[in-house]
Amino acid sequence: MDNTNENIETNSRIYEVGYLLVPTLSEENVPGVYSGLKDLVVGFGGEIISDEMPKMIPIAYSMLKVVQNVRNKFNTAYFGWIKFEISADKISEIKKKLDLDPNVIRFLILKTVRENTIAAKRFVHKDSRRKAPTVKKEGENETVLPIDKEEIDKEIDAMVSA
Amino acid sequence: MKQDYFSANNIKYIDYKDIEILKKFLNPNGKIMNHKRTGVTAKNQRQLAGAIKNARFLGLLPFVAK
Repeated sequence: MDNTNENIETNSRIYEVGYLLVPTLSEENVPGVYSGLKDLVVGFGGEIISDEMPKMIPIAYSMLKVVQNVRNKFNTAYFGWIKFEISADKISEIKKKLDLDPNVIRFLILKTVRENTIAAKRFVHKDSRRKAPTVKKEGENETVLPIDKEEIDKEIDAMVSA
Repeated sequence: MKQDYFSANNIKYIDYKDIEILKKFLNPNGKIMNHKRTGVTAKNQRQLAGAIKNARFLGLLPFVAK
């Protein structure tokens, strides 16, 4: 596909990191942590393709994180993600850094594709592929006239005699 | 759902962040539905299951719903 010009750096791959930040961060500190994560990727020679600002979400189940020997339970978190291209041997170093980050509850590194993968906004509505309306056959609604045998006989006789 | 949802909507890569789509394939307990119920092709069903599991890990979807 369009990989030919990207293979200058032979081992580079597309990755995505999804992460949850601790909800104890105040709103104004989130952009700082977010740009810190982006700088981390760029610092290892990564090229950011797309990303999303972390935003507060309720998480589906409570998660634990031990910080300085204290168990912290969280039911909300800031969820954000970064998609980037980086050489394959650098990704493990990013993982090591994220493992030590006190602001990250969890993160997930995935291999992905360059194209935008979020499809929710461009839905084809189911009804758009609706069945073709059934065409009514013409003449179907005409009521069939009752046949009068005597009338027909007379007509035939008239035609024969003519 | 008889036809494959993902090919009908031209989705080539099933993203774990698209929880609105993924939720359609969970039963009320939060389990992944059988491919016989979803009508999704085998390939997409595998991708779907992976995406749901990734979303669960990041707390976007539940492992079990009450």
